[in-house]
Amino acid sequence: MSFGGGGGGGRGGRGGRDAKGGGARGDKKDAGKRYFFRRRKVCKFCADKIDYVDYKDVKLLSSFVPERGKVLPRRMFGTCAEHQRKLTLAIKRARNIALLPFAAD
Amino acid sequence: MSDRVYEILFIADPNLGEPEVDALTEHIQGFAEKEGGRIQKVEKWGKKHLAYNIRKHQEGYYVLIVVEGKPSLVKEVERRIRVTDGVVKFITVRVDEELRKAEGRRAARAKVEARRKRPATPRPSAAEGEEVPL
Repeated sequence: MSFGGGGGGGRGGRGGRDAKGGGARGDKKDAGKRYFFRRRKVCKFCADKIDYVDYKDVKLLSSFVPERGKVLPRRMFGTCAEHQRKLTLAIKRARNIALLPFAAD
Repeated sequence: MSDRVYEILFIADPNLGEPEVDALTEHIQGFAEKEGGRIQKVEKWGKKHLAYNIRKHQEGYYVLIVVEGKPSLVKEVERRIRVTDGVVKFITVRVDEELRKAEGRRAARAKVEARRKRPATPRPSAAEGEEVPL
């Protein structure tokens, strides 16, 4: 059952529930650990007030794309849903025009 | 119908010289102007490394042209670019709507922030005003 939160992508709510119902879950140590290390991720685009995710801005896009050129899930960078959609589109456009790789060789 | 704004970003053959790239850019601008487009901006990014090989090229000259015009402009310009030698790859993106939305969001945020800052003084009076209807 402790596999449930393994991804570490949980929102703020889980920590509170763990603290209250820790006994019922049993795996107290693990829960505490997760609580301790988790940092609230904030969407970079919301924080920096970037309204238009430009496909031409390679510097910005490459900070959200690993070397291999994959689009990573939202939980990796904490981007909000709206900006993740825009980011994905921008990455795909940038790939089309060879600003970003489809797959690194 | 109001005109739309498009960004045409193309990669020119890296084997061309600087003047030839300029000529090619003028050529493509000419396509757009002939279709009733108004050039808003032309940006030369210079020679850049490509993220992957295109037609065996590893690098290319990037040139961005921002043009305002009708949707039919894109069709014709794209067709003409396709038959033009020296263009390795190109992309056309419509940007007016996205930019307008972004502008709207920026304006909305500015409004909210202005409201948030102002109540520093009038808040006490507002709180009193609320008590009356209750």
